[in-house]
Amino acid sequence: MNDDLVKLTIDGIEVDVPKGTLVVDAAKKIHVDIPVFCYHPKLEPVGMCRMCLVEIGLPMRDRGTGELLLDDDGSPKLNFGRGLQTGCTVRVSEGMVVRTTTEPVKEVREDVISFLLSSHPLDCPICDKGGECPLQNLTMEYGPGVSQMDYSLKMHNEKQVPLGDLIYLDRERCIQCARCIRFQEEIVDDPVIQFHNRGRALEIVTMSEPGFDSYWSGNTTDICPVGALTSSDFRFGARPWELTPVPSLSPHSPAGANIVMSTRREAKSGGRSVIKRIVPRQNEWVNEIWISDRDRFVHHFADAPDRLQKPLIRKNGELTEVSWDEALDLVAEKLQAHSTAVAGLSGDRLSNEDLYAFQHLFRRGLGSNNLDLANRRLAGGDVTAQVGLASGSNLQDLGAGDAILVVASDLHEEEPIWWLRVKQASERGATLVVLNLRPTRLDKYADYVFRYAPGEAIVTVRQLVNAAKVETDTAVDQLTAAADTLIKANNLVAFYGYEGLTYTETDTLAKLLANLLLLKNEDKAHAGQINSGLIPVWPHNNSQGAWDMGIHPALAAGYQPVEASGMDAATIYEAVHNGGLKALYVMGADPVGDGRMPNRGQLDFLVVQELFLTETAKLADVVLPAQSWAEREGTFTSGERRVQRYYQAISPLGECRPDWQIAAQIGERLDMGKPAFAASLLFRDLAKVVPQYKGMDYRSLAKVAEQWPLVGGDDVYYGGTSYKNEAGLGQQWAAAAETDEVGLFEVADGDTAVTTNLPLVRIAALYTPGTLINHTPMLADRLAAPTLHLYADDAQIIGLQDGGETVIQVNGRSLSVQVCVNGHAPAGLALLSGVPWFPGMAEFEIL
Amino acid sequence: MAYILLRHRDIENLHKLDVYREHGGYEALQKAIDEYTPAEVIDIVKASQLRGRGGAGFPTGLKWSFIPKGPGEKYITINSDESEMGTFKDRELLEYNPHQVIEGALIAAYAVGAPQIYNYMRGEFMDIGYHFEEAILECYAAGLLGENILGSDFSCDMSAYYGAGAYICGEETALLNSLMGELGQPWAKPPFPAIEGLYFKPTVVNNTETLANVPPIITNGAEWYTSMGTEKSKGPKIVCLSGHINKPGNYEIVMGMTFRELLFSGEYGGGIPNGKEFKGLLPSGGSGPVITADALDAPISYEGLDVYGSVMGSASVVVMDETVDMVWAAMKMEHFFKHESCGKCTPCREGTYWMDQLLHRIYEGEGTLQDLDVLKSVANRIGGRTLCALGDFAINPVLGTVRHFSNEYEAKIKK
Amino acid sequence: MFGEILRGLGTTFKHMLQPPVTIQYPEIKRPVRPRFKGRHVLERYDNGLERCIGCALCAAACPADAIFVEASENTDEERYSPGERYASTYEINMLRCIFCGYCEDACPTQAIVLKHNYEMSFYDRTSAIYTKEKLLVDLAEGAEPAPRQVEPGTYDRAIPEMEDPV
Repeated sequence: MNDDLVKLTIDGIEVDVPKGTLVVDAAKKIHVDIPVFCYHPKLEPVGMCRMCLVEIGLPMRDRGTGELLLDDDGSPKLNFGRGLQTGCTVRVSEGMVVRTTTEPVKEVREDVISFLLSSHPLDCPICDKGGECPLQNLTMEYGPGVSQMDYSLKMHNEKQVPLGDLIYLDRERCIQCARCIRFQEEIVDDPVIQFHNRGRALEIVTMSEPGFDSYWSGNTTDICPVGALTSSDFRFGARPWELTPVPSLSPHSPAGANIVMSTRREAKSGGRSVIKRIVPRQNEWVNEIWISDRDRFVHHFADAPDRLQKPLIRKNGELTEVSWDEALDLVAEKLQAHSTAVAGLSGDRLSNEDLYAFQHLFRRGLGSNNLDLANRRLAGGDVTAQVGLASGSNLQDLGAGDAILVVASDLHEEEPIWWLRVKQASERGATLVVLNLRPTRLDKYADYVFRYAPGEAIVTVRQLVNAAKVETDTAVDQLTAAADTLIKANNLVAFYGYEGLTYTETDTLAKLLANLLLLKNEDKAHAGQINSGLIPVWPHNNSQGAWDMGIHPALAAGYQPVEASGMDAATIYEAVHNGGLKALYVMGADPVGDGRMPNRGQLDFLVVQELFLTETAKLADVVLPAQSWAEREGTFTSGERRVQRYYQAISPLGECRPDWQIAAQIGERLDMGKPAFAASLLFRDLAKVVPQYKGMDYRSLAKVAEQWPLVGGDDVYYGGTSYKNEAGLGQQWAAAAETDEVGLFEVADGDTAVTTNLPLVRIAALYTPGTLINHTPMLADRLAAPTLHLYADDAQIIGLQDGGETVIQVNGRSLSVQVCVNGHAPAGLALLSGVPWFPGMAEFEIL
Repeated sequence: MAYILLRHRDIENLHKLDVYREHGGYEALQKAIDEYTPAEVIDIVKASQLRGRGGAGFPTGLKWSFIPKGPGEKYITINSDESEMGTFKDRELLEYNPHQVIEGALIAAYAVGAPQIYNYMRGEFMDIGYHFEEAILECYAAGLLGENILGSDFSCDMSAYYGAGAYICGEETALLNSLMGELGQPWAKPPFPAIEGLYFKPTVVNNTETLANVPPIITNGAEWYTSMGTEKSKGPKIVCLSGHINKPGNYEIVMGMTFRELLFSGEYGGGIPNGKEFKGLLPSGGSGPVITADALDAPISYEGLDVYGSVMGSASVVVMDETVDMVWAAMKMEHFFKHESCGKCTPCREGTYWMDQLLHRIYEGEGTLQDLDVLKSVANRIGGRTLCALGDFAINPVLGTVRHFSNEYEAKIKK
Repeated sequence: MFGEILRGLGTTFKHMLQPPVTIQYPEIKRPVRPRFKGRHVLERYDNGLERCIGCALCAAACPADAIFVEASENTDEERYSPGERYASTYEINMLRCIFCGYCEDACPTQAIVLKHNYEMSFYDRTSAIYTKEKLLVDLAEGAEPAPRQVEPGTYDRAIPEMEDPV
């Protein structure tokens, strides 16, 4: 028998569960429902709602001998204590007997419900939670059926209290279970809401300015067991039973957050089905049951009124609506005509199918390798293919004895889900080492924080890696100590980003970290081992997929080197400017708006495939309207190399077509054969070409397994919002190091520290303005306005003051910025947030 | 008989350290440190059968023995959040005999090996707290607090803390939460404070009066102490007498005295004023059920009121004469509990509100017979199901008055 | 035999003198039973505000899926109904409706009521869809129309005050 298992009996059914399991969870394992309000399997139990009171008996022992006392019939004598006990706070013990169906238990459930209803308003007809409300469900299931409460004695309270601009509180509906408060405190460490007052006047208040200032606020509406917390996005939007749940993926999350889109047809939108809300979908390997507010609220671009709906061709200087055939014919003709001087730039928000079709068109149809990401920031996809986080890994498994290294990334702003999982791993005991040129929110949980001077990122990481190569017993400094911990850790996960780094520097960084992972400690390297490996903090949801699909001048799909490398993005922009290129095809990117390409230069032909008429599209000869991710099927690959599937949620807008189809239809005109009939078939084709995706198809990506804790299923109490994952957990593809021997990477020397007066680095902000987020009006007030962060002394030298406004010249563009001197910036470094990304460090001038 | 706890009534200026020391002050501490090991101190307190004076009556020595042995962070917390209706005993000790409390706490700290003592006083004790804080400063100056107390290896610090005025913070876990700067709400036990208390370290929470009992026990021995009182309730007890009584105030009695003697003896209460008849009394402020004339001969002890369905609690005796409207009294008490419920657990938060609403309605003559039934049923549904004991206390005003004075309720019911 | 003929004619003559049972519809309309379930109306309160709170329970109850409701939030500047929410779109497809009255049963505010009008005929399918404008009853004498501007705080309940269930 396993020593870590405890045998107990619940309602006559024997069950073995791990030590330390709570009685409610043990019951859940055998599908015995113990109803709860305040308990949530992801939160620490508090035992305050009293709904889970059950009879718990412990076997009695003789005080002298410690022998079990037996009844006359030979069964152990049980001590049921003086009263009922809360199943959510009591942990299982050997021989425990739990009774959940006896009269006293039934009575107490009825009583707790009648107590709760004694001051809960009967708003169900209009309540947003009505229909998926645990209180409603439990009332139907366990309630007394009649009320003794006289309606005239009911407590009345404020109905519309905006906790912030995203979350509304209805004080009357709140049942004071504290799930939201505990979530903010325990899970995401943003304790911005708290209880105020006491007794029946106990109420939730926000203590931040602006109100409820957290990137996670939307999750509280999911776990709220009543309709007390509602999001301004969904408030009075629809009744839950009218909604169609469609499993999908966040189009922003490089970690691959799983979501469910609730859609319904709407008269306001002319009978189109629209996305009414987004809720998380359980995937314990990816996002558990949480999503950030960016993933939740930034979906309105899909239904935006200014979406492109018809192909446009420039005629007499004006973009004019034309038919698809006309547009495609023109594009095919022009691309073919210029096939010696053609290039393709793509965004990394698009699906694998789109990206594959795009590169296929260029490589096969046009014979060109001039392919790159329009706004490439982070190199190392090829390195990740070798030593990336091993398949089968789950960041949730990291804990004591493991180590996590985060270099040059502000995870909280770039990908909150990874921030959360790293933070939780650190709380479970994993050693966290953070290297950056400025303080970030991860520092608080880090065991070692190293701050390098601007331009010295690579030098510092090299020192760390070199220190790890040397076996030491006595660490001479912190860096050696950290290196020692990293190399000796059971598992090692390394995250790297691009803050303040150029593309080339990120490549070096990736290779250095790969070498760290490949270092052998007692004949064993971390690379290739489950729960170890490299994770690039990609800027977008499918940057990994773009690498896999071969959106790269030198690497074709599946990381196969091409014979002759094409132009990379920087060269393409250069060639646009000096006439080296005649035709450019931009798919899902806005290089002009992002400041990468000042104008169309000497291009003869520019075709842009987009959702909106972006700055680039305005200059185009042909604009092709693409479908948003919500209108079609596809796959994204996360930074952990998990290939996941999303499904069509809403009907296509206007004449929009999927990106892959457009590319394939152009290809058809270049004699590349008929386009695939469906995304699934295209994926099947690409899985044949990309060795890493071998064996994957839409069916295998849709496989699910039972996940623990069980939430969102048939139970009626863990939050009505559908969490259950019935649409697929995705598949992680294996990094090379898992099967083959991978040699150390050669890293070129020549780290040159940039020396400027006051270098400027662009830092990430979750709500940085952009093509998609700008269409979410509710986030308008939270969008990161361009802000210049300065160290107090530096600010004084330049003559800027906190809160002031100024205009600066950076990278040849003038920007109006707010000045912020609040300690975020280290001495000798200026930080710029809320603007499009630019590589490395820049100098700036005050105008 | 000489006072054991309210010694300042015999000795003037006892709150001054030199006066206190002149009269044998801190000799018990000296004795404990010099003559006994910590374990022996606990044994003596166990043998004295001293029980908690805050109301629950948990054996003090047993409580101390739950604290894990050996070094480590541990805390003694003095519970001076005396908020029960009609209780005013601790404030007298803190104001006039603070050193006896400090000495008791130091002995406790020595016994369990705690290097830090907190005194949690209710927020309204601002003025009384000054006296106590002065006493702490005197002790520091005299080497009775701080490093190497009385020249021994034993070191201990003490500081005073004021609550913000919440009844619930008299509950030990709520008190600890409040002391940590959290919302004053109790937590579900386990974990018990003895294992995970203040700052998640083992903590003893003792009532002020309980600790004042400790020095005389150490000085005079457990046998001396057990010679006083009844079988299950040993030693002296301060009774707070108030209400319709000629001589209200604190009285130190030896447990076992009857309520009749307390109320009517000239030495104590001196009878009911204005020749009115006795109607009932609350033996434990608002939290114990009311008792009537038939229970007057019961002894004042932890077990004495068991047969009458009530408890001694903190012995805050509120006397009510024939003029008192029992529905009014229940309404006032229930309002108190509604106001003081922390709101954490459902039955107490919702139930006290509900009962308060119903009592108001009945008192105002708007109630129906059904309301009375609902009132009783609500009270019964709270009992035994709440997170802490407040819920169990909160139903006593209703259940006690309904049991003895149901006629008064019925008289108010709308015809 | 003659007797029989007379008897028969007697019946004939008797009925000749009685008023006819048929009526001249549509000039004359036969009254319907009080519980007759005819065309729906959306009721108003006496003050002119709409009863409907847009809860869509009627749509949920409808076995023929004939009702479509879309709700929006009331504001004090533009108030349609006393609660927090009103139906911004309310449509009944009369071709689908089977006049079962479940919607009436489901309605928590007695907003939708099947009245006595049975005169529904359409030339096309679109006109069979009765919109909110068609369904709302006329304003009572002296009542103000909805939406209207009201003093903040006049209507602070989520749904109009509910009475104790009987």
